[in-house]
Amino acid sequence: MDTHFAQRRRRDLIVAACLAAVAALVPLFVKDVYVQNIMVLTLMYAALSQSWNILSGYCGQISLGHALYFGLGAYTTALLFTKFGVLPWFGMLAGGAISAVIAMALGYPCFRLRGHYFVIATIVIAEIALLLIQNWDWAGAALGIDIPVRGDSWLKFQFARSKLPYFYFALALACIAWLVTWWLEDSKWGYWWRAVKDNPDAAESLGVVVFYSKMGAAAVSAFLVAVGGSFYAQFVSYIDPESVMGFQFSLLMALPAVLGGIGTLWGPVLGAVILIPLTELTRSFVGGSGRGVDLIVYGALIVAISLALPKGLVSVFGMLSGRKEAAR
Amino acid sequence: MTAETIIQSLASGLLMGLLYGLIAAGLALIFGLMDVVNFAHGEFLMIAMYATFFLFAFFAIDPLLAAPLVAAALFVFGAVVYLLVVRFAMRAKANAGMVQIFSTFGLAIVMRGLAQFFFTPDYRSVTNSWVGGKTISIAGIYLPEPQLIGAMLSIAAFVALYFFINRTDFGRALEATREDAGAVALVGIDKNRVFALGWGLGAALVGLAGAIMAIFFYIYPDVGASFALIAYVTVALGGFGSVFGAFAGGIIVGLVEATTAMILPPSLKSVGIYAVYLLVVFVRPRGLFGSL
Amino acid sequence: MTISRRNVLLGATAAAALGPMAARAQTSEVAIGVIYPLSGSSAAIGVDAQHAFNTAADIINKNHDFALPLAKGEGLSGLGGAKVKLVFADHQADPQKGRAETERLITQEKVCAVVGTYQSAVAVTVSQTCERYGVPFISADNSSPSLHRRGLKYYFRASPHDEMFSAAMFDFFDALKKKGQKIETLALFHEDTIFGTDSANAQTKLAAERGYKIVADIKYRANSPSLTAEVQQLKAANADVLMPSSYTTDAILLVKTMAELGYKPKNIMAQDAGFSEKATYDAVGDKLEGVISRGSFSLDLAQKRPMVGLINEMYRAKSGKDFNDYTSRQFMGLIIMADAVNRAKSTDGDKIREALVATDMPGDVTIMPWRRVKFDEMGQNNFADPVLLQYTAKNFVTIFPEQAAVSEAIWPMNS
Repeated sequence: MDTHFAQRRRRDLIVAACLAAVAALVPLFVKDVYVQNIMVLTLMYAALSQSWNILSGYCGQISLGHALYFGLGAYTTALLFTKFGVLPWFGMLAGGAISAVIAMALGYPCFRLRGHYFVIATIVIAEIALLLIQNWDWAGAALGIDIPVRGDSWLKFQFARSKLPYFYFALALACIAWLVTWWLEDSKWGYWWRAVKDNPDAAESLGVVVFYSKMGAAAVSAFLVAVGGSFYAQFVSYIDPESVMGFQFSLLMALPAVLGGIGTLWGPVLGAVILIPLTELTRSFVGGSGRGVDLIVYGALIVAISLALPKGLVSVFGMLSGRKEAAR
Repeated sequence: MTAETIIQSLASGLLMGLLYGLIAAGLALIFGLMDVVNFAHGEFLMIAMYATFFLFAFFAIDPLLAAPLVAAALFVFGAVVYLLVVRFAMRAKANAGMVQIFSTFGLAIVMRGLAQFFFTPDYRSVTNSWVGGKTISIAGIYLPEPQLIGAMLSIAAFVALYFFINRTDFGRALEATREDAGAVALVGIDKNRVFALGWGLGAALVGLAGAIMAIFFYIYPDVGASFALIAYVTVALGGFGSVFGAFAGGIIVGLVEATTAMILPPSLKSVGIYAVYLLVVFVRPRGLFGSL
Repeated sequence: MTISRRNVLLGATAAAALGPMAARAQTSEVAIGVIYPLSGSSAAIGVDAQHAFNTAADIINKNHDFALPLAKGEGLSGLGGAKVKLVFADHQADPQKGRAETERLITQEKVCAVVGTYQSAVAVTVSQTCERYGVPFISADNSSPSLHRRGLKYYFRASPHDEMFSAAMFDFFDALKKKGQKIETLALFHEDTIFGTDSANAQTKLAAERGYKIVADIKYRANSPSLTAEVQQLKAANADVLMPSSYTTDAILLVKTMAELGYKPKNIMAQDAGFSEKATYDAVGDKLEGVISRGSFSLDLAQKRPMVGLINEMYRAKSGKDFNDYTSRQFMGLIIMADAVNRAKSTDGDKIREALVATDMPGDVTIMPWRRVKFDEMGQNNFADPVLLQYTAKNFVTIFPEQAAVSEAIWPMNS
């Protein structure tokens, strides 16, 4: 095996461990709940985007319908808890499992589609699910589900004021999503995906195995996103169809990876760390004019970064350290 | 449900479908030309509707007269967007598909923001235009005049587009550029000029649609969002790369929508459209008439 | 049982957390959080709301000769003349952002009370957050009936909810029937988000109770590109009364589509929203002659209560618009909250809450046609009588209930 590649992987792991350790200490110094809230969201989007990146970045199947899995996770957890009293920890696993199964069931016909046909299929499938939930009275329809908060409880994973439990959960989820990606990079799936990307003809010879590896990627990606959705339901303690399954979530999940560097290990983290605080702070302190200035800034940023840095912000870091993508 | 209701539903669905076709025609043309999906297509429609509205409000130009002006304005706008944004997106060496999606998508957000900034988020409408609110009744079946005109314009636009692409020198240049940009450069065709004209033409088509839509639809910064997804599905259903496919796709979408609303609760009528799209591409992964 | 335990717990934590804030009570400003959609697709509503709240703050902070609480004299006398300072926050119609911004208002901006939110879905999370911090919340203009039924201690709503609004409509139908009008069948037309769903649920329940037949119940997707299929079903049903619950965009398209398909409803009884917005009447007002909409405000109240007209002038100077159903409720929301803070003589959440519970404001010191403002144990004011307004000759006139009516209803509207 390429030693340079192995070296890089070891270094990535060490850097990640250090970053996680530093992140874990931050709340000890930052007590402000508003800032803590932004940190929770940043970690959550890093985790979501990292999971999205597995299917859309590494595997090259661009999904703009991941809100489906996010919503499934949120709804499964909230419904199991409010209707049957099932603790959210089990709901989380159930939501993840359901999403993984659905992702594979949908992947089977969809992976035959290419390019924009695939992208549009993912959008319309998520839209169908949104419309069905919006018309499903038992699941609260448009009224959504209000999760009653009765004091702090680890068992029910709800905390009236403290953000710390949510923070550490989001941090753990981001770490897991990162580790899964790290592990996949070096797995045989990772090699196949790279091979297919570099040389489309190789896809032919690898045909069947690559197809199953994509199914696997879809399942892993959906599972992690659904856990993120479950977390979000607990964190906000109210969900409605538009706010967990709307198209904007599919985009919000994709954006950190796209801006940070799609199909890279560090892209989603970097993208989330820059994008999420930026959107939150502009809304709180610049937005509110009612004149759409925040939209203009936000949109222009997306255009500028995607045009100027097609490989994402990580490419800037790559250049600085003089590191070439030799391992590829 | 009476026979009359069913006929009326199908007639309305057909008119709406032809209009969807007209809205999607520009998208189909641009995609066919350079394999780029313009995710700001709905916002192009929004700009066209605002242009029609302001021509009417400030200069009392009826939307029917304004249509060619709006189309011309959108032509320029489309060409400029190509030269300022899309040209660079197509140069991307890595993640080309992603760069195209997100640069045009970012553009869409900017356009909405600018519309809110300059036009305010208020809802506008064109009132008292020549054909606005007028309707023709044949044996109890109502056919609104604006939609009828839109439908005829849609048919005319597709016929013209067919001749344009297949029978004119410029059309052939477009086709040739699409097939082999490198080779056409050798015979002295400037790729960027051809693509800019293609984008202009695509935008002009949505300009026509916008002018007609302004007669009977409300106008506000987010209005494009309602039509964007339908336009993508229309083009993909017909098959990317086929202009005729967009025409057929529009009609199918209109009819399926009307039929679904008769069977399911109307809030689910889009589900019918989406389901038909999925069914079609699962059987034919390149849409009905697609070449790509 | 669990509730009382929670209350004790909440009370204790609230007192602990608000300790430092109570100490600040002597300062000359009292911050009140105002949370609305100030960007995104409902930004227009939020911008109008800002003007309404600023008008109210202006009346509280400066000396005005109105028979309105706090109008006379400057600032809050109970707090040594402290001025009300509004802190605006933008929730972009997203429940999560509503929650985050409320937290920011409470912990960073140190607001002692919160008023909001327009969207009911956002009111759910904003009120939940206020509950957790023991900060009183007034739901100024949310009409979803489920909001006050969640056992929240710090939730208050002075204005009517959808069931009260719909009940007024059915009272009106009953009254007409007594006079010999024939009203048997109804057609519901509602959008698929929380507003339309709640409204339709209330109307379906009332129709069953009072013996009206619903011949068409059409739920449609908000912001649909076309409403042709929906209107055809309405036309086929041809009910005695069409009852739409639609926002502005769909209201405009509905009216246009009805005209295009040659359908003239016998009567329209609208659930506010799009049917009280100026944009709708600018676009299709000629086709809406005689339409009736519920409301909680009517400008013709100025004939009986001149201050309504004067305050409306103040608002118009800021916004260029007249008070409507939403902005009037937003205005009152702040007045009622400030009145409670004033009587509490404190910025402590629990004390303000106690003052709100004790609120008993006669209707004639408000700008609304309400009998009084007094909250029940769930925080709902049941004395906020809705009114029905009819659009005739480019104006809205109050036609129901009788004590507020200034003219007789034209019925049927297309006669």
